Amino acid sequence: MSVKAARRRWIEALAGSPLPWLLPLALVLAFTFIYPIIEIIRLSFTNAGLTGGNYSYTARSYRLLFGSPYFSDMIKATVIFVFFSVIFQMLLGFVIALLVDQGAKRGMRASIVTRTAVLSAWAIPGVIIGIIWNILYQESAAGVLNYLLHALGFGSVPFLSDPGAALASVTVANIWRGTAFSMILLYAGIQTLPGDVLEAAKVDGASAWQRLTRVMLPLLAPIILINLVIVSIDTFNTFDMVLALTGGGPGRSTEVVALSIYDLIFQQFHLGQGAATAVLLLAINAIMTAIYLRLERTEEIT
Amino acid sequence: MFRSRRQSETLTRAGLYAAYALIIIFFLFPIYWVLSMSLKTVPQLFATPPVWFPIPPQFSNYAYVFSETPILRYLLNSAIIVVLTVFFALLISTLAAYGFSRFTFRYKKPSLLAVLVFQMISPVVISIPLYRLFESLNLLNNYASVVLVYVAVVLPFTTWFLKGYFDTIPYEVDEAAIVDGATRLQVLGRILLPVCAPGIATAAILAAVLSWSQFVIPFILVDNRNLFPVSVGLVNLQSSTETITLHYLSAASIVAITPVIAIFVLLQRYIVSALTSGALKG
Repeated sequence: MSVKAARRRWIEALAGSPLPWLLPLALVLAFTFIYPIIEIIRLSFTNAGLTGGNYSYTARSYRLLFGSPYFSDMIKATVIFVFFSVIFQMLLGFVIALLVDQGAKRGMRASIVTRTAVLSAWAIPGVIIGIIWNILYQESAAGVLNYLLHALGFGSVPFLSDPGAALASVTVANIWRGTAFSMILLYAGIQTLPGDVLEAAKVDGASAWQRLTRVMLPLLAPIILINLVIVSIDTFNTFDMVLALTGGGPGRSTEVVALSIYDLIFQQFHLGQGAATAVLLLAINAIMTAIYLRLERTEEIT
Repeated sequence: MFRSRRQSETLTRAGLYAAYALIIIFFLFPIYWVLSMSLKTVPQLFATPPVWFPIPPQFSNYAYVFSETPILRYLLNSAIIVVLTVFFALLISTLAAYGFSRFTFRYKKPSLLAVLVFQMISPVVISIPLYRLFESLNLLNNYASVVLVYVAVVLPFTTWFLKGYFDTIPYEVDEAAIVDGATRLQVLGRILLPVCAPGIATAAILAAVLSWSQFVIPFILVDNRNLFPVSVGLVNLQSSTETITLHYLSAASIVAITPVIAIFVLLQRYIVSALTSGALKG
């Protein structure tokens, strides 16, 4: 058998295998995800600097990190930010999805305009959302939100200069940004609801509220859970919007976990502690993903 | 008291319109406000009550931004990165989607899920080891390395989306062509790709929007101002902005978001269906 024939057979065998088709994908993902993940875990147990040099293995970074008051501040800011962002994005997203669905069923064009308005907020790059809201929150005479509060008879709010207010400001901006995602997902979920079941409930005399809580919500439960997990992951990973809006300040009051990683590594040059914080974020990502995969699987069986 | 059906329907509609008005104001007001800021004179920036519609609009603010800031450079950089990213992401994910759609093999389901899992990982986390690696290889400030990471970030989405699209085309179509002597690459190029053109276009649009918005990766891997994409460029511009130059920052922001907003408004039907199919399938 000639070399040529052997080679041809080899090529044919390969063409019948998925390997060459999947290889480029596997290589890119391995290089950009798997290698960095292993590396960041390794780095978190060293005293290495940002750009090379000698180092040794130690768990000191974790001890320093967990012992520092910054750590508890970061956790507090992150938890508040994530919790309120997720709750309100989903609540608002669901209400808007219901309203848009009602309008679409009646053939109202305004429902499409509404959907587009919500979506356009979501299409804007995160940093620019941060810049836009920073302009709205201005505390000088240029600040329009404070003007509106005055016009409605309220006092001015130190949106960005007071630690507590700043965290609320960042959360509101994030709700504005992320509501579209929940809206789209839940709207799609509503479209899959069996119309006859809802109709039957109506005929049986169930009120709109009863139909919502007793029929729709239970049917939508799986998709609501999946939505919850995806939105939580996204919110934990938020970086760009907060960086442009407050830069983590005032003080470190809005320094959520992703921002804290950047700050520790590139501003304070504590690579080890930054890496340890990154491992923490990675663990959060992993737990949420595990829950997500679990939900997906049960979803498929039912 | 009985309300007639028609009356109650009119009430419902009125209620819906009122709700829509509130929602639209909440979501469009920030954009409208920045647009209005971008067209103001300096005194108008600080006027009380605010100037809602600056007349005459100061288009010269845009001229200033284009001539005195590197925003055109930033936009061009973004365009280069986005085009390269979309090209390579589609190339790699089309092959992979074909593999996942047309072959059965062991661990297929777990590998598909593994691809999806990468989408959940924060780009901040992966950028740090990559920064160290690229730094040691002298590959910081290099579009090849930046685009590679961009591609990796959009790949999970495009692969899943295209795989779903290929799945809708029956395998018998491929088989018939293969029996006729076509290779698998020919089947993909001549039969599947033309049929899937709308799906590929949608994947390209979403990949483009995602890469246009990308911030963390270039923020960490690029520190040469001449190479900044528009997202990083604007943050840089913001850091040199005083309250008195807010109109310029506003104009620059409007310039940066116009391409994505235009795409979304024009193509939202496709985008919405792509997002929901992707999200519902996983």
